[in-house]
Amino acid sequence: MAFLPSITKELRPGPVKDWSPALAAILLLVLCLVQAAAAATTPAPSSARSTLARVIFSPDISEQATLLRGLIGSTDPGVEAVLTAWRGGSLFVHDNPDGSQTAFLLDPTTDGDGHAQGLSILDDQPIPGPDAKPLLFSPSELTPADTTAKLRKAIKNTLDFMALGNPDPRFRKDAVVKLGQERNLEYLPLFEARAREEKDPEVSRRLAEALALTRTASPDPAVRVPALRTLGELRSVTSLSFLQSFEKKLRDGPTPPNDESLLAVHKTVLDIETYQQRGNLIGTAFRGFSLAAVLLVAALGLAITFGLMGIINMAHGELMMVGAYTTYVVQNLVRSAFGPSGLPLETYFLVALASSFVVTAAVGLILEQGIIRFLYRRPLESMLATWGVSLLLQQVFRHVFGAANVQVGSPSWLSGSLVIQDVLFAYNRIFVIFFAALIVLGTWSLLTRTSVGLQIRAVMQNRAMASTLGVRTDRVNMLTFAYGSGLAGMAGACLSQIGNVGPGLGQNYIIDCFMIVVLGGIGNIFGTVTASLGVGVTDQILQPWLGAVMGKITVLATIILFLQWRPAGLFVTRSRSLEG
Amino acid sequence: MPHPFPSQIPVESYSTHPMKPTLFQKASLLIAALTAAVSLQAETVKVGVLHSLSGTMAISETSLKDVLLYSFDEVNKAGGVLVSGKHYLIEPVVVDPASNWPLFAEKAEELLVKDKVAVVFGCWTSVSRKSVLPVFERNNGLLFYPVQYEGEELSKNIFYTAEAVNQQAIPAVDYMLGEGKKKFYLLGSDYVYPRTTNKILKQYLKSKGIPDSDIIEIYTPFGHTDYQTIVAEIKTFTAGGSATVISTLNGDTNVPFFKEFANAGLTSENCPVVSFSISEDEFRGLPAKALVGHLGCWTYFMSIKTPENKAFVDSFMGWLKAPKVTGVDYNVSGVDPKGRVTCSPMNLSRIGVHLWKQAVEKAGTFDVDKVRDALVGQKFKGPTGVVTMQANHHLVNNVFIGETLATGQFKIIKTLNGVAGEPFSEKFLTTK
Repeated sequence: MAFLPSITKELRPGPVKDWSPALAAILLLVLCLVQAAAAATTPAPSSARSTLARVIFSPDISEQATLLRGLIGSTDPGVEAVLTAWRGGSLFVHDNPDGSQTAFLLDPTTDGDGHAQGLSILDDQPIPGPDAKPLLFSPSELTPADTTAKLRKAIKNTLDFMALGNPDPRFRKDAVVKLGQERNLEYLPLFEARAREEKDPEVSRRLAEALALTRTASPDPAVRVPALRTLGELRSVTSLSFLQSFEKKLRDGPTPPNDESLLAVHKTVLDIETYQQRGNLIGTAFRGFSLAAVLLVAALGLAITFGLMGIINMAHGELMMVGAYTTYVVQNLVRSAFGPSGLPLETYFLVALASSFVVTAAVGLILEQGIIRFLYRRPLESMLATWGVSLLLQQVFRHVFGAANVQVGSPSWLSGSLVIQDVLFAYNRIFVIFFAALIVLGTWSLLTRTSVGLQIRAVMQNRAMASTLGVRTDRVNMLTFAYGSGLAGMAGACLSQIGNVGPGLGQNYIIDCFMIVVLGGIGNIFGTVTASLGVGVTDQILQPWLGAVMGKITVLATIILFLQWRPAGLFVTRSRSLEG
Repeated sequence: MPHPFPSQIPVESYSTHPMKPTLFQKASLLIAALTAAVSLQAETVKVGVLHSLSGTMAISETSLKDVLLYSFDEVNKAGGVLVSGKHYLIEPVVVDPASNWPLFAEKAEELLVKDKVAVVFGCWTSVSRKSVLPVFERNNGLLFYPVQYEGEELSKNIFYTAEAVNQQAIPAVDYMLGEGKKKFYLLGSDYVYPRTTNKILKQYLKSKGIPDSDIIEIYTPFGHTDYQTIVAEIKTFTAGGSATVISTLNGDTNVPFFKEFANAGLTSENCPVVSFSISEDEFRGLPAKALVGHLGCWTYFMSIKTPENKAFVDSFMGWLKAPKVTGVDYNVSGVDPKGRVTCSPMNLSRIGVHLWKQAVEKAGTFDVDKVRDALVGQKFKGPTGVVTMQANHHLVNNVFIGETLATGQFKIIKTLNGVAGEPFSEKFLTTK
């Protein structure tokens, strides 16, 4: 506590406009409470809990904010848990028979039906029912306690201060960033104290950033200039917009052009902008790859059924839809069997992926056996027939599941993103990229490394010759089509993690799929991979400049021009199968 | 592409209209009149409903058809429309323009010329309204339009119960400015409503001192699923924490957008999104979790706590279970009572019906020119308070800003009373 007296000396108004006396009060309160805690080692947890209850039930936002501030020094870990739950919408309110209300959290352990006991926030004890036995609550029937953005912001601020001492470095990091943005000089001693203890390198970096950013608020150039330089060295993207406006303010003001602050801030802004441009480049590349992977996953099945087998399969999109709906059904089955959370729901997606392959392959099998095998020599009629099938499937699904979109949840490992050097890598996108690589590798191995693949290629190249050599061409056709359909089904399952699942899902992708296969060169899987990469990356490069609409138009126009020049696509495969 | 629901009520089935009865019908009417009590005899008036019941817009517009039939039932139960001492019961003529813009014009023509309806309630998208506008002007028909729109239009044959830009977009932006937001990311679907609204908003923001560099305007096509670049851009844009997204994204493109938004670690706390096209009804098809805390701005929310609103919601929910239009031979079909909500376009549809009824009673005739004159100044006490029809064919209405809850409802955080709808932006942009 040696730094305590020095803070009060530094309490003079600086050039910062958003000087916040409320936050100063918070800080003083923290320090007082820390001191109090040190002096009298027994902070009464029950009083913190009852304050908590008052915050929750108070109708007045300013009173809530005041009470929240009082909670900051609490050493009771339960307070933080309750606040976090409240902010995240998992704090519930029970109406007692006597008219009073009890706020509670759900016990994480559930019974067979997914019901759980409600633990009162006052004493962590279950809420008793009329028969004195603990009441059971069903999570799906509960309504969370209300919050508004303002209140959540106040809760977050309280939690940020609490989180500076959190054992998890991620929480400490978020808290430091948030508090640093306030540029409040009174936080400096707090940051310094934390920086001395901090072991985690990432949090230390953020602390240094927060310290530097806060010091830029100092009126003393001897403090400000080094702080500005530090921000540049730290490549602080979060402070860029502040620095830009700061530089503009200095330039517009009466500052001489060789002012030290101005020079420092100019260099810092340049440094960070260069760093950000590099990040944008990596980000664009990643987004390009990810779009390419989505296109590839969607088009690979078509590359088999249309590319290899020569069937103009207009129902390809609807096969994807079947896969997506299979995911939805599997999700619902898992949910009803194992409850709305937990390990089964985290892993259901892998089961759904496999199921969608199996189900869609079965649909493809029926389609091939029922319709397509009669039309192998009449490609135009097969186009009409499969188009009919696509409409039929759409109507059937609309009838069974309703015209509105259905909700497919994402497991937590497919939500959120990885951040490396301020570049975002969304987990679901990473998954699609890996998945695309996996199925391309799998399909390639199947076609070139197995005897089934040999037979497939033989039949596709010359059906009559293969047949005379003893290959059962009918069976090979059937299985190839089923495999291609199964791939479409898995694509649908993947897309359920990115976009909408509705009866019109297939319609959104079918054009792109044909475009990719035709561009890549019919009958060439490597061509399909190259084409999706080309289209995906080009689209993402163009988008920031031209916008989503013009970007797409430009890509389509380029493809048309390209096909004028090379009508057979990127890679031409010579095959007799297409000649009938 | 065929449509999921065939046109539910073939218009031809309305040949049994008492105004032009066949000889046989005359005879049966006479017999009916002799056998039954005379008081059961009531005149009817044909009223058109022009909402898509199939195609892409069906999800939104079917709810409006439902609420219109409910309102007709409400009027009929109370004795119908009273014109010079005679009670006229509303007889609905429902047609399905199937989300097909040229078909809207054809169906409108059919309603006005063949069925000779006294008034039409309908249209959702601006393009459908633009498509029927010449038909109504040519035939001197009367249309009530209930969905928030971009303004810059005023037809003597259309009454806009909908929110004009200064009753939705401007109050929302004002609220954000009040919250200390300094950077605005205008994101919309690529068609007339978002483009016009954003054009107005840009001018408005500039007049409030927001520099061009702090306003980004972006459009995506319908059915767009790849929001990576846009969300990455928003993430950079909001790094300092003072940015907000003003979204006019339509329909299900909101799902991939909000999924991507949440995945990038953006929340309503560091970058709130105000959506103009998401009401309680649209919410039914969106992932609730991803939208919690983001904002909406309408002249009605289902969560509004007034006795009038409670009565409206309760009686509408009851009606959905046994839908009928009292007093006329009309079979209501295609109503799904499961998981239903009320929303602003639905409330405004109903208000339109009541305003029209009052105006007809005041004018003492169904004649369009006289009803139009009587409509101006007409007041109705709706679920959110009293609304007044102005001479510019727009309402004076209360405006609410609400925050989305996980239940799909809105928590009202700001109320503006008596905002007068103004279709032309130059009027509210110049008046400071």
